Amino acid sequence: MDAPAIATQGLTRRFGDLVAVQDVNLSVAPGQFFGFLGPNGAGKSTTIKMLTGLLAASSGSIQVLGLDLAKNPVEVKRQIGVVPEGLALFGRLTGAEYLNFVGRMYGLDRETAGKRTAELLDFMQLAEQPKTLVTDYSHGMQKKLALAAAVIHGPRILFLDEPFEGVDAIASGTLKAMLQRMIARGATIFLTSHVLEIVERLCSHLAIIHKGRLVAQGSLEELRAGVEAQAAAALAGASPGESPSAPGEKLTLEEIFLRIVGGTRHADQELSWLG
Amino acid sequence: MARLSFSPGMRGQFAAIAQVRWQLFVNRLRNIRGRLEMVARGFMFLGFAAAGLAGSVTLGALAWLFVTRGRLPWLAILLWFVFLFWQLFPVMATAFGETADSSGLLRFPLSFPSYFLVRLVYGALEPSTFLGSFWLLGFAVGIGIADSRYFLWAAIVLLAFAIFNILLARMIFAWVERWLAQRRSREILGAVFFVFIICFQFIGPLMSRVGRHSHPEMSRITTLALPYERAFPPGLAAEAISRAIQGAFAPALAAFALECVYALAILWLLNVRLRAQYHGENLSEAMARSTSPKEKRAIRFGWNVSGIPGSVAAILEKEFHYLSRSGPMLFTFVMPVVILLIFRLGPQTSAKQGNFLAHAPDLAFPVGSAYALLVLTNLVYNCFGADAVGMQLFFVSPVSFREILLGKNLAHTLVLACEVIAIWIAVCFMFHPPAIDITLATVTGVGFALLLNLTAGNLLSIYTPKKIDYGAFGKQRAATITVFASLGIQAAVFGLAAITLLIARAFGSIWIATVIFLILSGLAAIGYNMVLNRADRIALDRRDAILAELCRA
Repeated sequence: MDAPAIATQGLTRRFGDLVAVQDVNLSVAPGQFFGFLGPNGAGKSTTIKMLTGLLAASSGSIQVLGLDLAKNPVEVKRQIGVVPEGLALFGRLTGAEYLNFVGRMYGLDRETAGKRTAELLDFMQLAEQPKTLVTDYSHGMQKKLALAAAVIHGPRILFLDEPFEGVDAIASGTLKAMLQRMIARGATIFLTSHVLEIVERLCSHLAIIHKGRLVAQGSLEELRAGVEAQAAAALAGASPGESPSAPGEKLTLEEIFLRIVGGTRHADQELSWLG
Repeated sequence: MARLSFSPGMRGQFAAIAQVRWQLFVNRLRNIRGRLEMVARGFMFLGFAAAGLAGSVTLGALAWLFVTRGRLPWLAILLWFVFLFWQLFPVMATAFGETADSSGLLRFPLSFPSYFLVRLVYGALEPSTFLGSFWLLGFAVGIGIADSRYFLWAAIVLLAFAIFNILLARMIFAWVERWLAQRRSREILGAVFFVFIICFQFIGPLMSRVGRHSHPEMSRITTLALPYERAFPPGLAAEAISRAIQGAFAPALAAFALECVYALAILWLLNVRLRAQYHGENLSEAMARSTSPKEKRAIRFGWNVSGIPGSVAAILEKEFHYLSRSGPMLFTFVMPVVILLIFRLGPQTSAKQGNFLAHAPDLAFPVGSAYALLVLTNLVYNCFGADAVGMQLFFVSPVSFREILLGKNLAHTLVLACEVIAIWIAVCFMFHPPAIDITLATVTGVGFALLLNLTAGNLLSIYTPKKIDYGAFGKQRAATITVFASLGIQAAVFGLAAITLLIARAFGSIWIATVIFLILSGLAAIGYNMVLNRADRIALDRRDAILAELCRA
């Protein structure tokens, strides 16, 4: 069996007294489209930053493609592509200059970097404005450019932090098509997103982090089965009408997520002062 | 015009704004860096306080002197000085100022009068306001001591003058801010500003040239221009005071009234600008460009720099792209040659007139080169500042910080080399070709100073980075700690250079300086290499703080 694409052991990050991520043991197999979910402030971005070398872990280890990130940071970084939270763009370069620059930073020769830049700009429909500086791009264009930069060197693992946030439907379609093509070619994608519908549609495997701790991990079916079994056990002896889902209906990812993190929709609650 | 009245709701909003400003101030003191910044600002405040006190006493003494000696028309000179300082200092001293952005307040249900007042108060809290007000107070006291009957009148006139200055400075900034909101107009304005600053530098030398000869036409122009000076607020304020002292109260009142009309006109212009902001204005930078299919498909390759790794070449190329698009920064590079030209145009005859290059033209090349290095330190000491969120790429890419810093240092070295060559050529034309021994001593001295500055700059860039925008006017402020550390390094460099030159002079040969500078360069190179070798470790250890500063919105 192949070594996991990503594996963490006891991954912990403290900010002073606050433990943002605690004892996380993740395992992502090669070729998986992996969704990493959690409520706001759960530790998603902190985890992805540690996995990509943007943040040091307080303790624990990170293995990427069988390599220890702390011992082989350069080799690991060569194999991965990242779209971080802030997109890591250089505003005063044009899109082509930026992609060329990133390509060469990842060790591509100038000819290869130049050709891939032209292809990526074309694919992402960014070639229309070759002289426009990145700072003048719209948010969606910047997201597409960041993704293009993350894949220019053909990474084996792609880390995406909220890639669909603020992206319109057309750009989102382009991004999804590209990501699925990468998965088909054997790459591994690690994605965080708040848009659960997109995660449900794209990801084969999931992990849920809550208050810094990993509370669930597995395929969507495994998570669903786990939630249903747990609910069934809790409701043993209760009336049949209180089953976790209606007969014949599958739990959606949103329902699974809410049950795991113990959230409610607050639909029945109301604020006394608000209309 | 905005009518200001304070409802309880408005008072609550003002209190909330004041409280949030205070909380921001307190929160900055939470970490060591914030505290150090505060200490540095404390020193700066002491400097400003000293300048305020000295200026106030000087202006007061001069006002007293002019009134007691009957030289009342000269009062205008003092007020023109205050006026020019008040308006020009905020523009020229952006390195010391921190502009609070109040435009974010627009999302709250603030009435226009509240917004207007907040913008006015936010902007007025700057050194020029404190210094100008303090100086005017000294001026009024000086008049009061000379003749106590006129203290109250002078205070009223000067209060109106101070209000006019505050409004004018805010009005100029509000309009400039509007032009700065768009990148292209921002860069054009930056270029215009620096051309203005450069032209401004030539006034002194040209005036002194003119002053050395008799120019009856100049005297005639001056005589003709003088009455018009009184038509402007500084002249009007001086006129209102001096006429009152002479007992001509009607002209004094008229001058004061006209001064108030100026203030109201400025208030109206400020009102127009802020009202447009308040109602929301479209400052979109989105551009629609038609691009030929050929241009779209064109493959652009990066620079091919033989002999250096691809990643270093990529950084070098990126740095030059950034510099070439940074109008204000580019203009600062022109300054060393401009400074030489100013010295060249200055008086050439007497050492008392301050033009030392006229008597020691051999120093032109070293002085110009040293100035070029000083200009460059702006880049060297905060070399990640302009990268902003792009800094994340450096941490996720498989490139070491050694290579990244090498690329940046190489770019800065090339810029300095080009500047030194340009200065050498300029010195040849303006003075005479520098002697070979002076040229070599200068080049080795600059080489040593550059290595030392790059070493310190690399460390400070990692330890105290500060997000900046070289393309935007007034957004190039390095961390205060960096500014002070840079001053310390420059003092050390100039001290060592002075000792070296003294030794060379004692032995009667400038070649000795070259040798000493080469030895010092060798030592500096060892230090430089040591820092480069540790750069990765330091950057990784400090990545949280670096990214927090550079990736902030």
